[in-house]
Amino acid sequence: MLTQLRLTTTKYGAITLTNLQNQLAYIWDALGRAVFIILIMFIFVQLWTAVYQSQNTTEIAGLTLANTIWYFLIAEVMELGKIRHDTRITEEVRDGSIAYTLVRPYNYLAYHFFNGLAEGGVKMVLIFALGLPLVLYYAGSPTLTWAHLPLVLLVMGLAVLLDFFVLSIIGLLAFVTEDTFSFRLIYQKLVFILGGLMIPLDFLPDWLQGTARVLPFNLTTYAPAKLFVAFEWFQFRQIVGLQLLWLFIFGAVLLWQYRVMTQRLAINGG
Amino acid sequence: MRRLLFELSFLKALFVVNLSSAMEYRASFITQIVGMLINNGIYFVFWLLFFDRFGSVRGYQIDDIYLLFAIVTLGFGLAFLFAGNAGANLAYLVAQGRLDYYLVFPRPLLPHVIFSRMIVSTMGDIVFGFVAFLFTGRFHPIEILFFLLSSVLVALLLTAFGVIAGSLAFFMGNAQYASQQITNSLLTFSMYPNVLFSGLARTLLYTLIPAAFVGAIPVQIVQGRDGVLLLGLAGFVLLLWLIATAVFSLGLRRYESGSAININV
Repeated sequence: MLTQLRLTTTKYGAITLTNLQNQLAYIWDALGRAVFIILIMFIFVQLWTAVYQSQNTTEIAGLTLANTIWYFLIAEVMELGKIRHDTRITEEVRDGSIAYTLVRPYNYLAYHFFNGLAEGGVKMVLIFALGLPLVLYYAGSPTLTWAHLPLVLLVMGLAVLLDFFVLSIIGLLAFVTEDTFSFRLIYQKLVFILGGLMIPLDFLPDWLQGTARVLPFNLTTYAPAKLFVAFEWFQFRQIVGLQLLWLFIFGAVLLWQYRVMTQRLAINGG
Repeated sequence: MRRLLFELSFLKALFVVNLSSAMEYRASFITQIVGMLINNGIYFVFWLLFFDRFGSVRGYQIDDIYLLFAIVTLGFGLAFLFAGNAGANLAYLVAQGRLDYYLVFPRPLLPHVIFSRMIVSTMGDIVFGFVAFLFTGRFHPIEILFFLLSSVLVALLLTAFGVIAGSLAFFMGNAQYASQQITNSLLTFSMYPNVLFSGLARTLLYTLIPAAFVGAIPVQIVQGRDGVLLLGLAGFVLLLWLIATAVFSLGLRRYESGSAININV
């Protein structure tokens, strides 16, 4: 049992490490792609500074301007660092190469997760590092205490896993629909508004806020960003509870879908 | 004049071929257009929620956003529906040595290259532009005329800027990401109220990244029914095209043919 666990850990650890080496070999390329965050953050800073000035207030829904600026940096880190494996699954289904990857001695979805962790991790670090100077200049240091940091990191980890489940479901839909572009786009855009990427949920009107808080979209982006800037034990417990609930629901759907879809797989020729 | 008409008929033929090719994959064609409508719609929803919550920001209101979105999305849609190879795609073609294919044809190189591709999703932008204009409630004939003219000028401006950004590949080698980032910067800045920016950032928006000429100035033209400003915008577009043509021609002298065998489908 323990030997099996050690072997499994070594195998998936090696997958992550190999892709990490790949990512680091092309670090300048990744840096070039991530540099856009500076522009995004600059625009957000200008926009929200203007909002706080025009409202003539230091706090909106419990968030100061500095909180809001930090919120957007963390929300962008979560969004831009996501594992984008769904497009790869779609491509593999469309070109038939999934027939070769499925017979390899690893779990197909676990491979994508551990492979994507390296890429996502590098992107998250780069985006944070590039956005940090601007945020420090306009908002100063974050208010998060060291004691709360591991708890926020836990929520971030669950957020990455939850997003992975949703994108896996979207990717596997290629078995039925062949093209998954529109599903991905709709999910992404729901995260923009109901996930709090463009506007914190606290700023939404009450009728929309209540719905948005129980839906899974906010748990991938808003939740870690909000806890980072204004940690509250009650909200932390609520968020982790909802994350686990949605992980269970999407996990069950994903397992069922994976079994059904792979049974539908038809391989012609060699 | 006859030469110009001849070239225009060639560009029209390219457009028809691109359109037929895109429509061959009917499901993908519709998905991309609907997808872009949803994409733009979400930004629209954001601004609706934003102004509903905060009223106005530095005098900017939701009505200004309707018009801004109408002009920018229509302009962007027109630009990349016809000239889909401007911007990052041009940089890719240059870096990969794929200009060889176009160089052997007895046609002007630049229009042939940039008009050889259609970005299907931009049809969604065009539809969205007209829908957004309906929200503005500006139905005076002059306002409609100025809206259409401004959008066409914005399309020409975005294409010229795309040519400049794509031509960077002649000087930098692999400039695909750089040109993509530059083009995205222009578009992103133009979609936000320019009253947000001041100092150096504002100066940049009127010079190096001319986002003000894509968003704020066309909005002013329609709102103020300002014909003089419209002429000014046309003058700027002309200047930008002169620069774009010069940069492309200069870059072309540095172009090195690719040895890879490419097949254009």
